[in-house]
Amino acid sequence: MAGKIVSIHSFRGGTGKSNTTANLASQVAMTGKRVGVVDTDIQSPGIHVLFGLDEQKMGKTMNDYLHGKASIREVGYLVSAVKSDEEGRAKLAGTNLWLFPSSIKSSEISQILQEGIDFNHLNEGLQSAISEFELDYLFIDTHPGLNEETLLSIATSDILIIILRPDNQDIQGTSVTVDVARSLDVPNLLLMVNKALPKYDFAEIKKNIEGEFQATVAGVLPLTFDMAENASRDLFSLRYPDHPWSKGLMNVVEAVLAAT
Amino acid sequence: MTGDVLQKIHKTEFFKELSEDALAAVAAKTTVRKLAPGVVMMRKGDPADSFYLILEGHLKIVTTDARGEEIIINTVGSGETIGELSLVDALPRSAGAVALDEVEALELTRDAFFELLDQRLDVALGILRGLSNRLRFSTTYIEKVIDWSQKTAEGDYSFLEYTQPLTNKAGTDDDKATQLLSTFYSMVRKVKAREEGLKQELERLSFEIDQERRKKEFEEITGTEFYSKLKEQAKTLRQKRNSG
Repeated sequence: MAGKIVSIHSFRGGTGKSNTTANLASQVAMTGKRVGVVDTDIQSPGIHVLFGLDEQKMGKTMNDYLHGKASIREVGYLVSAVKSDEEGRAKLAGTNLWLFPSSIKSSEISQILQEGIDFNHLNEGLQSAISEFELDYLFIDTHPGLNEETLLSIATSDILIIILRPDNQDIQGTSVTVDVARSLDVPNLLLMVNKALPKYDFAEIKKNIEGEFQATVAGVLPLTFDMAENASRDLFSLRYPDHPWSKGLMNVVEAVLAAT
Repeated sequence: MTGDVLQKIHKTEFFKELSEDALAAVAAKTTVRKLAPGVVMMRKGDPADSFYLILEGHLKIVTTDARGEEIIINTVGSGETIGELSLVDALPRSAGAVALDEVEALELTRDAFFELLDQRLDVALGILRGLSNRLRFSTTYIEKVIDWSQKTAEGDYSFLEYTQPLTNKAGTDDDKATQLLSTFYSMVRKVKAREEGLKQELERLSFEIDQERRKKEFEEITGTEFYSKLKEQAKTLRQKRNSG
């Protein structure tokens, strides 16, 4: 059974996409699965911070791969290889979780944006990541909106998770993304509502959004100051597993594991 | 003094703890006052030196607003009392009272009241017992309101389920405490209903999708050559993966 590509997308920035991706990937890895995380948010990479990777530690990147300067094997960074001082990240010790980071060097970012990304080349990269690292799941953190790179990752995914906040603008944008995902025949479409004000009835939000899009809402996660305070220092759901946000995330983890 | 009048005195908050004998002693100190319609019984600010028990007719309780115009704050009728506490605390009248029709009322002056207290320990004790009962009663109600307020502040409206709405009888001070609870109860019910309405309104607001814009944006994205090519490639890719 080949590994699955899970794309995480949101129509606008600020939905908590990178944070959610990092937490989802880590939680799936904690169940014993072999997991990869690719940062295809080439314009504004950020997920590496959550895995404790800084510019000094960063070796080869996806940019190098796309320019033919590195193989996928060289780009993969085993997150658990470095012992972490952060309580949440420390729990990843012994897991099989690789990060495929994007370059944070501005020259390399503008270069790739000018040249564009070749669908087949990126896709081969994703496929070889899956086969060479024997991945069960490969998570793709995409750039917000529906630009070409994002469409590429949607097109190639087995599971698409769209993260939205319960507000009009996000729901409007999500409606277009849902239509595009259906047009591209994505086999599994999951919605995740993030940053919902705790005073609302979450079951009601889930029901209404599912009714609107005819798609599963895998979780409704609360807006929380605790999360903001954590400020991407650590993997929140690993550090605070009993927090309502973490519990909401586990529903999404289950939906990912259940998708065929 | 008729038994009917004694019954009426007995029914007042102030004298309800008194024995029949003590009631008769109180009644003996009272005089009957008759007022024609429109006659002023007392004015706001007057020294409060009498207590009245209305036997027949009605009075309006009035005060004045900032412009000096009369505001009727209440009307009182047979069996109701005016100024019982002022026998004790001697504060000036907080409102005026004017007869609305032919009024007959029992008056007990402060002097007569003090004489009575001096002569009859059983009357004094009965009044004290009545006052302390009322205090205890009010405290119970206040505690209830505090409890409900705290629950309401936390958004816990469950007490509405297991509390019966109280019937509202205007009149005595006991009933005013009941009235407070009843008013509070219906206030919380309205707050809860409003909150639920608001919640629904917000949720409905969140689901206004502009379908035309949705269609237009979808067409803009999928109408490009890039997209058609991508769709083809994605299809090929999925077929390859499914067969492999």
